[in-house]
Amino acid sequence: MVQSTISERPSVGEKQAKKRKFTKKTIIYLLLTLFALVNAYPIFWMFLNSFKDNADFSSNPFGLPVQWMFENYVTAWETARLDVYFLNSLIVSVGAVVITVATGALASYFLARFRFKMSKMVYGFFVFGLLIPIHATLVPLFILERQLGLLNTHIGLILPYIAFNLPLTIFILTSFMRAFPKDIEESAIMDGCGVFRIFWSIILPMTKPAIATVVILNFINNWNEFSFALVLINDEALKTLPLGLTNFSGQFTTNYGAQMAGLTMAIVPILIIYMLLEKHIVKGMTAGAVKG
Amino acid sequence: MKSWKSRSLVASAASAMLLLGACSGGDGASGSGSNGDQVELTFWNIWTEASPQNEASKAAVERFMEENPDIKIVQENIAHDQFKVKVKTQAAGRQLPDLVQVWPGAELTPLVDGELIQPIDDILDTWDGVISDTMFADYNVDGAQYAVPANVTPTSLVYYNKDMLAEAGYEEIPATYDEFKQLIEDLKAQGDIPITLGNKGQWLLQSSYISTIGDRMTGSDFLQDVLAGEAEFTDERFITAVEVIQEMAEMEAFNNDFNTLDNIQHRELFVAKEAAMMIDGAWSLGPIVEAIEDEGNLGIGVFPEIEGGDGDPEAVSAVTGTGIAINSELEGKELEAAQKFLQEFYSEDYYTELMEGDILVAADIETPDSASDALKRVSEIISKKTAPVYDATVPVDLTDAINSGLQEVSIGTLTPEEFAENLQRIVDNSL
Amino acid sequence: MDTVSKTKWPIIVGMAPALLIYLVFAIVPILISFYYSTMSWNGFSDMEFIGLANFREALGDPIFWQSLKNNLYVVAASVFGQVPIALFFALLLNRKLKGGKIFRTIGFMPVVISTVIISLVWGMMYNSRNGLFNQLLGAVGLESWAQNWLGDPKWAMISVCITIIWQFIGLYLIIFLAGLQNIPDELYEAAEIDGASGFKKTLNITLPMMKETIIVAVILCISGSLRTFDLIYVMTSGGPGHSTEVLAMYMFDQTFSSTRFGYGSTLSIFIFIFSLGLVYLATLILRRKSAAD
Repeated sequence: MVQSTISERPSVGEKQAKKRKFTKKTIIYLLLTLFALVNAYPIFWMFLNSFKDNADFSSNPFGLPVQWMFENYVTAWETARLDVYFLNSLIVSVGAVVITVATGALASYFLARFRFKMSKMVYGFFVFGLLIPIHATLVPLFILERQLGLLNTHIGLILPYIAFNLPLTIFILTSFMRAFPKDIEESAIMDGCGVFRIFWSIILPMTKPAIATVVILNFINNWNEFSFALVLINDEALKTLPLGLTNFSGQFTTNYGAQMAGLTMAIVPILIIYMLLEKHIVKGMTAGAVKG
Repeated sequence: MKSWKSRSLVASAASAMLLLGACSGGDGASGSGSNGDQVELTFWNIWTEASPQNEASKAAVERFMEENPDIKIVQENIAHDQFKVKVKTQAAGRQLPDLVQVWPGAELTPLVDGELIQPIDDILDTWDGVISDTMFADYNVDGAQYAVPANVTPTSLVYYNKDMLAEAGYEEIPATYDEFKQLIEDLKAQGDIPITLGNKGQWLLQSSYISTIGDRMTGSDFLQDVLAGEAEFTDERFITAVEVIQEMAEMEAFNNDFNTLDNIQHRELFVAKEAAMMIDGAWSLGPIVEAIEDEGNLGIGVFPEIEGGDGDPEAVSAVTGTGIAINSELEGKELEAAQKFLQEFYSEDYYTELMEGDILVAADIETPDSASDALKRVSEIISKKTAPVYDATVPVDLTDAINSGLQEVSIGTLTPEEFAENLQRIVDNSL
Repeated sequence: MDTVSKTKWPIIVGMAPALLIYLVFAIVPILISFYYSTMSWNGFSDMEFIGLANFREALGDPIFWQSLKNNLYVVAASVFGQVPIALFFALLLNRKLKGGKIFRTIGFMPVVISTVIISLVWGMMYNSRNGLFNQLLGAVGLESWAQNWLGDPKWAMISVCITIIWQFIGLYLIIFLAGLQNIPDELYEAAEIDGASGFKKTLNITLPMMKETIIVAVILCISGSLRTFDLIYVMTSGGPGHSTEVLAMYMFDQTFSSTRFGYGSTLSIFIFIFSLGLVYLATLILRRKSAAD
């Protein structure tokens, strides 16, 4: 609130300043519009082409559909078995996100706010996980899960998703929590709060923007994950969406229109999650400050 | 038809007798088993999208289950590329399904060597007089048969647009390579793309080009000889064959984006009449016939004779497909059910339906009247002589090297001689 | 917080769940994979111990080195492309703007969209016969600049890198946006009372305060780039030739196409080692640079 009163204070060069502000705003909007166009085009293209048949798609990839093939969505729904796979994806993704972020945030809290003997080592150990090429683990993970009896279960998919997203989660959250001033917990300790209480009522609320970020990233990773789902699940009733979305392309043919329709439907949940959480990422500024 | 069916009944009864008393159980992989009287078999295939072949195949499975309520086939349909990854992972964990779709030659051999699948020699007489030994050969490893072929696929047909060739003064694909080059120049001169090519996936130049062009030069025993150490890739004739591909690329016989289009996109250039010819497999037949307005304008020929070549100038590289193998762990009632499934799946009805979908079949049965003229033409072409397809003959790591090497030759970053030396080195290492 | 003895048990209890899952489902598999690297194994038949032969082979494998080189291009493009552009737009978007939410959402779009779509759209724009870029160049009289963007080995890697930069700007955008919320308002207020301009505020307050977040972004960039797979796999399959081959893709092909599980595992160890080295180097440079400030 302070700076808004400051900027509203009349001054000598007010007109000039106003003019400069106007040009600045125009440039900013110009840049942002360009940025938005470049980023939005593919999604718009996908949406448009989801209404074309194959002949239309190949002869006229950039124009409007000659004939609007709404039935592509029906075909896509059936070919990708969305009725079953969609729900499975939701269960697996949400389950993995919740556990990853909960356990990851707790671990990050101890790694960021406490000094203990192994803390550096454990942190480094988690960060190593960022460097693992996941395709190298497919066969070992398959054999491991077979021995543990986890093949063909939701939990058998959720656990590796957690394991492979923890590094990113802990890496981002720890760096955030480290940035908080050192004296934050002190008064709470004086009041006799336990460490878990401090985590829950002080650190966690302050970490909201970062939590929102990792939830989004985790959700996208899990929602789109393909390789683990391919090898760890055989049961049609347990398969996830990315597996269904490959059903449009055979070895020698591809149904492009239906593929676009399927992909369009598949991103809806991600967009919803993003829209819901975006306000937490930028919460600070909605309070009214003009920064930067 | 009737005698065929009754014979399969006798055969399955016989195998049932044989297996009677053999201990049951032997729980197959992936949670299959027998529930009470019903036997459940898991079956993986690549029948995901709605192509005529997939529809016919799925229908055949349904038909089988209707006729055999005591057997339940639980299918898992996985798209082709993903299927390969999944099978390899599960094979490494020794968890293949009871029935699994298999590809001939190079991809089949490791499954046999690893003892993951079992021979089906006991039931082969089901197809006596229907499927010839030649057709069976692709799925035969060391004298044992592992699957029955459904279709036979020439991989190297020259599709052409009759009108566009006529405009350049040609009625059909010329008989010699030199004339063929002239045709390419004439087509270029009239502003057409002579040959459409989409080699982004890298296998097209191998499967549809070198398999036949190589055969023109080297004859059909060359690959086997190379693998046995009796011939070498550095053979002048093989190098000449690679030079043919190099020459076509250099004379701009192809659309200039040929390394960025895939094998589906390149077909569109032919359908849209931007390109006069397309060298591609029979898998494109159905989609083309469906997409073009005038089927009479579609010509189909073979790659011309190359001077100095030892091969049959009419031979076309071809491979059989859609075989189903039985897991080696299967025994007793389940094995019996699996064998029964194969016997009834590869039926006359199935083959007829495939032909109606413009798919050439491995069985020697009458072509239905409803089959397209194009299919009849292709069937005439391959009745003459077939040649081996490279990727169905050589080991997979060699196939990978051929695929990427041919692409390099086509963009001029590798000479045919270097390419041949690289390949020979891989062969030498594995000998 | 030095009350170690008192917090020992909470620390153990708090770390255990994450550590346990991570250990069993990420570390154990990767260790098994490392073990395979000493084997000759096609996945179908029995394994055979061959010691360090796979490592020797990799060191003498020209395609391996080519993939590494290409991979370093991707790393450079990401670190010097994605990070600055994302930071720039994060700063632009971190203010009260009409439609700010829309811009922030759209900026994130490329991260969400399937690589299949990205590859199709960019492939069509890069197309040499009728692609958007060549047509634009033609329209402004620069036909001679037209290229076979993805089909020419000289240009393919550059073209692929541009698409990769574009694809992941949104990812760093939201990481930076979240990081910007961590800067206390008081700092800006104090600066404004001192009469600092917007640009000065950015330079003197925002960037130094964002140091940690930038390091996070750079490390994510490096590790992500060295594992990059999907987009290039769909867009060029590593071609033409091996001109866009990258390590993770070469590893995948060696493992699942050539079925050389042992050699594939060896390649994955190299990926791991290179990432580790690069991350270490980057942290060293960034920390020293900031220490000098």
